[in-house]
Amino acid sequence: MKRLKTVLACAVLAASAVTAQAQSQDWETEGLSDDAITIGVMGPFSGNAASYSKALIGMMAYYDKINDEGGIYGRKLVAVQEDTACDSAKGIAAAKKLLSQDKVFMLQGNSCSGVALAMRPIIEDSGVPWIVAHAVSDSISDPLAKNIFHGVPTGSANGRAMAAFVLSKPDTKKVAIIEHSNDWAHSYSDPARAYLEEHGVTPTEELTMERGETDATAQVLRLRQDKPDFIIAALYEAETAIFLRDLKKYGLGDIPVMGTAGTDLENTMKRTGDFDTVKNYYVIHSYIDNLDGPKMKPWADMIHKYYPDEQLSTFSFVSIGSAEALVAALKAVGPDLTRSKLIDALNQVHDFDTGILSDPITWTPEDHQGVKGSAVAGFVDGKPTVLKAWGQPY
Amino acid sequence: MFLQLTLGGLSQGAIYALVALSLTVVYRSTTVVNFGHGDFVMAGAFISYVLVVIAGVAFLPAAVLAVLAMFVLGVLFSRGLIRRVRGGPHIGLALMCIAAGYVLRGIARMVWGREVLPMPRVFDIEPIFIGNLVITGDAVFIIGTVLVLLLTLFGLLAFTDLGKMVQAVYQSPRGARLIGLNVELFDDFSWGVGAALGAIGGILIAPVSLLHPDLGASFLIKGFAAMTLGGFGAPFGAVLGGLILGVAEQYAGAYIDTSLIEITAYLVIVLVLFLRPQGLFGRKAVVKV
Repeated sequence: MKRLKTVLACAVLAASAVTAQAQSQDWETEGLSDDAITIGVMGPFSGNAASYSKALIGMMAYYDKINDEGGIYGRKLVAVQEDTACDSAKGIAAAKKLLSQDKVFMLQGNSCSGVALAMRPIIEDSGVPWIVAHAVSDSISDPLAKNIFHGVPTGSANGRAMAAFVLSKPDTKKVAIIEHSNDWAHSYSDPARAYLEEHGVTPTEELTMERGETDATAQVLRLRQDKPDFIIAALYEAETAIFLRDLKKYGLGDIPVMGTAGTDLENTMKRTGDFDTVKNYYVIHSYIDNLDGPKMKPWADMIHKYYPDEQLSTFSFVSIGSAEALVAALKAVGPDLTRSKLIDALNQVHDFDTGILSDPITWTPEDHQGVKGSAVAGFVDGKPTVLKAWGQPY
Repeated sequence: MFLQLTLGGLSQGAIYALVALSLTVVYRSTTVVNFGHGDFVMAGAFISYVLVVIAGVAFLPAAVLAVLAMFVLGVLFSRGLIRRVRGGPHIGLALMCIAAGYVLRGIARMVWGREVLPMPRVFDIEPIFIGNLVITGDAVFIIGTVLVLLLTLFGLLAFTDLGKMVQAVYQSPRGARLIGLNVELFDDFSWGVGAALGAIGGILIAPVSLLHPDLGASFLIKGFAAMTLGGFGAPFGAVLGGLILGVAEQYAGAYIDTSLIEITAYLVIVLVLFLRPQGLFGRKAVVKV
């Protein structure tokens, strides 16, 4: 009798193990078929931040290109879109739907850092691979989660790139910082400050300009007393324009100003109304060329091939690089694809030149923040130019 | 630096003064604080933007048209919405103002989204440097315009029958009614003047700042602070409060810390309500029993 009980217990255990293995196997290939890989694409397709979803349009155009070329081992990349409206509650609902109802194989996308941070616990628990294709907050991928990979320069990468560019100008000794007092601005200024300190430079003036301020007289007059060699400005678009205007107004227009990826040269010039105000303004620029430059043209053509009415902006190209890295990893896995194998392959992506982002993508099992730097754009001889360092075109 | 800060503060303060004065005009005649006034300021700026940038009208006629349009909007708002809830609780009036403001903001957002729009500069002249002091065309234009406007308005209030009638309605609507004044019409007129003055503030700041649908929110707070400092219902106090606030922001930002600029208005509100609730020129509320 005792022996019979033992045999039965062993049988039950064996059956459970087989079932668990079968379930695990099912999970590994969920959202996968002989002819399709389903990818959940979350983004702000509606609402005030809908312009950010251009990033995901560019990424999906790249999927279409791959599909037209025959897909990956006969499988097409099928995007399942979910709208987050850049709202955390909607983002969480979108992630849950993609994971539980649509049962996608993996996730790629999301443009708003706040939403991505809200989604992270759910996605991390699910174990489903997620490539963050646009949002920049470091906290999305740090601390490390084995299934979450960051495919764009994070805030700290950009902040350090800003400071590196500032210090690449010969004889830069005095650096001032002006910023909003919010997390977005700190995500740029804190790493920039750290980089400066590492290189023996302490900011000589640290100023605040809040959102909605319509005048920067007090800040500019303090800068006039400080006489910095370079100013780092972590300000939104409107405040950047007001600050640059006041800088010129009080005779400080010759001091170079380093701005974030939240602004660009062309629109800043439009807002300030003249070239003279922005001639010494530099911004983080994640690409290898100007948006209308020859190296970007094939990408622009690709987007227009699949989305003919799409108006291109700086956001349109930002997620394409991580889509390329994904395709490379899927190809590396081979036809016998599983989620675990994909995660392993993503961890092997090393120095991957996307031909669009200014810096390569490298993911390792210890570090999933794949893009460690950014180029800078500034006016050289009156034309927007991508720069590696001060006076060095990319 | 001191002179420069004072000039910059007066230029900003002149706009706050105008916003505070427009709030006071409505408050004096109707005892309603227009919590949607910031959006009236924004609407005035956007109407002038449409006329100047899209329709190609010159700045001055565009500004006049925008002010007239906002006057009409203010009158319609009073006749169509405020009158209907006038007899009800005060909170109803406040909510009506907030709702109207959000409708205006919503319309602007629908049309322009969150885009930040530049308005062509009115006096795009090279700044004048006197030693370290920089005098810009914008500052001269804003301070000059507000000064002329205030002198005209205070002249009207002090030396004309219209001013006496306004005073009569403010002191006792019932008494004003008894001597044959049409108080309701006065109310409508006050809403119209309030909206028009707010619009002038928006039009003046638009070329210096940039336009966006949320532009009015900060001006509303600054207007409240100036009104509180000057004393509720005191037009001269509102103007002086606005100028003091503008200068105080600059001094606090330059001499103490730039992060104080944004909270100066709130500090002023708290300090005044704590130390002198009636403000500089307001009257102490006396309840007779």
